[in-house]
Amino acid sequence: MSNLIEVSGIVKAYGGIKALNGCELEVREGQINGLIGPNGSGKTTLFNVITGYEKVQQGAVTFKGQDITNSTPDHVFGLGIGRTFQLSRMFPRLTVLENMLVATQREEGWLRGVSRLAGSHSERSRALELLDFVGITRLAYEPAGNLSYGQRKLLELASLLVADPDILLLDEPAGGVNPTLINHLADRIRDLNADGKTILVVEHNMEFVMGICSRITVLAQGTTLMAGSPTEVRSSPAVLEAYLGADEEEAALDAALREELEEAARSTTSSVSVTSEPGDRAPAAGGAATEEVLLTLSGVCAGYGGADILKQVTLDVPLGGITCVVGPNGAGKSTVMKTISGLLRPREGEIRFRGELVSGLTPKQVLAKGIAQIPQAHSLFGDMTVLENVEMGAFTVTDRAVVRKRLAEVQELYPIVRDRAHDKAGSLSGGQQRLVEFARCLMLDPDLIMLDEPSMGLDPQTRTMVFDMVAQMNRQGRTILLVEQNARAGLKLSSHGVVLENGQVRLTGSGHDVLTHPEIGALYLGGAVEAAGV
Amino acid sequence: MVFAVFALFPVVITDPTTTSIAFFALVFMVAAASWNIFSGYTGYLALGHAVFFGSGGYALALLTSHLHVSGGWPAFALLPLCGLVGALISIPVGLIALRTRRHTFVVVTIAIFFIFQLAAFNLGFTGGTSGLFLPLPPFSAANFNQPFYYVAFIILLVTLLVSWLVRRSRFGLQLLAIRDDEDRALGLGVKTRRLKLSAFMISAFFVAMIGGLYFDFVGQVFPNTAFDPLFDLSIALMAFFGGMGTLIGPVFGALVLESLQQYLTLSFSSNGTYLIAYGVLFLLVILIMPQGVVPGVRDLLRRRRPAAGGGTLAETDQPLAGAAGATR
Amino acid sequence: MTGTAFIEAVVDGILTGGVYALMAAGLTLIFGVMDIINIAQGIMVVLGAYLSFELSVHAGIGLLPGLLITVPAMFCLGVAIEFLFMRRLRDQDRTQMSILVTYAVAIVIEGILTAIYGVNYQQLSASYVNSSVHMLGFYLPDIYLIGFGMAVALLVGLYSLLYRTKFGRAVRASLQNRTAADLIGIDVNRVRTISVGIGVAVTAVGGMVFGATNAFNPNTGYDLISRLLAIVILGGMGSIAGAMGAAVFILVINDIVAVWWSPTWAPIVYFVALVIVLSVRPQGLFGRAAVRAQ
Repeated sequence: MSNLIEVSGIVKAYGGIKALNGCELEVREGQINGLIGPNGSGKTTLFNVITGYEKVQQGAVTFKGQDITNSTPDHVFGLGIGRTFQLSRMFPRLTVLENMLVATQREEGWLRGVSRLAGSHSERSRALELLDFVGITRLAYEPAGNLSYGQRKLLELASLLVADPDILLLDEPAGGVNPTLINHLADRIRDLNADGKTILVVEHNMEFVMGICSRITVLAQGTTLMAGSPTEVRSSPAVLEAYLGADEEEAALDAALREELEEAARSTTSSVSVTSEPGDRAPAAGGAATEEVLLTLSGVCAGYGGADILKQVTLDVPLGGITCVVGPNGAGKSTVMKTISGLLRPREGEIRFRGELVSGLTPKQVLAKGIAQIPQAHSLFGDMTVLENVEMGAFTVTDRAVVRKRLAEVQELYPIVRDRAHDKAGSLSGGQQRLVEFARCLMLDPDLIMLDEPSMGLDPQTRTMVFDMVAQMNRQGRTILLVEQNARAGLKLSSHGVVLENGQVRLTGSGHDVLTHPEIGALYLGGAVEAAGV
Repeated sequence: MVFAVFALFPVVITDPTTTSIAFFALVFMVAAASWNIFSGYTGYLALGHAVFFGSGGYALALLTSHLHVSGGWPAFALLPLCGLVGALISIPVGLIALRTRRHTFVVVTIAIFFIFQLAAFNLGFTGGTSGLFLPLPPFSAANFNQPFYYVAFIILLVTLLVSWLVRRSRFGLQLLAIRDDEDRALGLGVKTRRLKLSAFMISAFFVAMIGGLYFDFVGQVFPNTAFDPLFDLSIALMAFFGGMGTLIGPVFGALVLESLQQYLTLSFSSNGTYLIAYGVLFLLVILIMPQGVVPGVRDLLRRRRPAAGGGTLAETDQPLAGAAGATR
Repeated sequence: MTGTAFIEAVVDGILTGGVYALMAAGLTLIFGVMDIINIAQGIMVVLGAYLSFELSVHAGIGLLPGLLITVPAMFCLGVAIEFLFMRRLRDQDRTQMSILVTYAVAIVIEGILTAIYGVNYQQLSASYVNSSVHMLGFYLPDIYLIGFGMAVALLVGLYSLLYRTKFGRAVRASLQNRTAADLIGIDVNRVRTISVGIGVAVTAVGGMVFGATNAFNPNTGYDLISRLLAIVILGGMGSIAGAMGAAVFILVINDIVAVWWSPTWAPIVYFVALVIVLSVRPQGLFGRAAVRAQ
């Protein structure tokens, strides 16, 4: 079987960080090829490299045997490679039909293409046919900006088809799309494949990938981990490790865990509850039911620009514990935090903190209640010194004596704040920055600390240290709400676990129970959650 | 109807003051419409089109004197040549400026504009500060304005026709796509560089042509009037006022604002009044109709009569959900 | 060109560059916190000059004491403009829209000034405007020294405000990372309003010095804003230090070309330099490639 696209030895570095490091990829002609990998493994970067949006330092990309390394996007498209974007991109102020007519026809002279009236009958009817194929004909005369998130994905796909490309590169076609539409999309992709189109799809939704792909390539940290059939990929321990996170130091612990996992699979009395209906309150595990609750979300719907990311999220954060929210990319984990901290206003539902309503407050007001959020990496003010950054944490505190006292405490806890006080925060390593972020957050003496992926981009050793610090903050009596991509490490640390999928809570329970629940692997690597229902 | 009003205007109203206001309005209607072909469609805010306006004027002055062409109709015949000069100048300007995007592009166009203004002051062939004279047309005083008016009107019609053709072609669609998301357009095979430069040249062509006519009417071309920063801004404000990126919006904006300016300048001795009225009117439009008047009014009408024009999204969204989610 | 003339050109460039640096610092501060290019900055300098003129001619208040009135007045103007127009701009096309809006504001101000003062040129006068000191073989007008001194003092003041006070930290925080600033309880909107006020307030001082060293009329704003934009873009948008460096750089080049070749060609040289620099480095001489955390 011949390869349509071959990628070999690609190195792409931003500054010192290598996004792609010797990555290899073969795209089989006439098949649906999958490309998966954990967050930050370089999937989208690879797409950008193939389609000419990014230039590489090393390596080669060929299409039908022809070298297209470091080409330009318009040239690549002209050769017959069409792509979609992760956050679907179209032209919001053009109508849907106009969007369909933008693409330059292949093998058409530039001047001829340009001078042709955009509304010629054959082109229009072809465009309408394609809109009909994806199912949005009715919206043909609407401005594309009015479309819902899922409809945009469909439009983006259809607008590529106008030029009849040989291969479609789809970047997370199912991301943020509702299950019905996902099925619809999967059907369309299969139809296109049946029509002879080769497809390469990047996707976090494993069920989707495993369902439609015949061959899957797995990326991890910029290199190719393996390539094979869905069954091979699914059964590979290396892939599971890449996703769930593994640390060699705790290999022994892992062995114990595996035992427990098997035991849990046999056991019928798992205290983990699975919910499938939105809005259902997942009952808390066993004896924990009587625990005092610090924060509750009930039926929260929120999102950006009309599209809801959170669909009826209901969850409790028990007082004094560490609650870890895990789930695949795009499940809405970060959005939960933004909604709580007031960065995002919920469209529906309410959030209560100690019984008091906090939804709809400004970030400053939420902060005053004692809820602090540390956002995803790089939230320090890089041009300020470490000390300034930490002092900024107490921005809303006016009593200088209190600030001094807390600063002393924080310096005690995090010596780095004293040792590197006058260095620019931007000059610290990733792990050090995390600690300074923790220190800054503690300056307010919050009751609830929300951490958004504290281990992101850290090596295993630093990650362990960061998690130790999280546990330490918790021991000092602070309730922690943690969002973590590294599900295993996060849940191991936590007293409570919540699994979020597609903007809905799917599992809740103690951290241990959630971690050992037989479905957790399935949630990440695809598989039928429903089948394993309680 | 509108066409008839414009065509018959100088026949019905022969007062020279009024017809000269009408002529100035037409000049700016052309300028705004052609500015819109580039900036309105691509979203690249060019604030240096006075370069082409002035160049058109200088080109006509130099052509008539070197070729010994007399004023009036023979001079008018040279106008397309002026346009060509503008288009030629726009090539290096565009090649440099279009390397940048967004606000850097704006500043580069302003900088290039000042280079031209200063060059006009200092170069020998431009006549320096005193400028150049254009040949006097042999028209009688009473009917002096009419030929200028009709020539400007014809240029306007041609500009609008070209603008309409651009808007209707894939070329125009791709320009609008560049406005909405240039990188995405590139990924759909759109040759963005060539397209932007082509639109820039077309735009420069008409601005230079009407510039030649304008300075022929005025009779003299100085660096100050030829390369006037207020011109750069005025056409942008006019286009924006009426609705950038629409066919008729910029023309409408120019008609309203330029007539207002001429009227206020004539009614009040000071220039201040028109500037104030101009600025305030514009700011009001931005606050009330951030899209511009023409799209704003269109939206208003659509909202008032939801049954007409295909209905709103809310209505069409429902059936769609059924169609798209057939598997439901 | 003699050595003395060269040194004189450089010294002149540095002295006037200091004043331009101050005005440009205001412009770049507004861009930094708001993503807004204030085209009205040029006419505001002229407005500041007219205010000083009005106070000294009609109220008998000297140029320097007059600043106590003009600076707060310009601050209030800035706050009003931010409140009325700038914060209403949507995020989409924000920078480009801001150019049109502030240009319109500039037109209104120009119109008001034209209506009151006409288009005749004015110049501010005071005892120290026409006197000069003799040094290194050439004369330096006192007002250049005073202007430079004030500009330096104010830039140091602005610097201290930004780097030594709590408010300054809030400004820098909002500038670097809006989300993180929100999350530590900074009222980013208020910070922005005040920053715009400060950015506009410096034009009062700039206007006073400019008005004392140059003849001005309401049209002068265009020339000023084009130079300020050149400085700010060259220095890298949003970077105050960059604006200071670029201001001195441009003015020194301007003065050297003026002496060595011709004063009329001097501006062309730096506009050409600007165009060349920007087509090679769109982020400016001192600017970093724009990576703005959201």
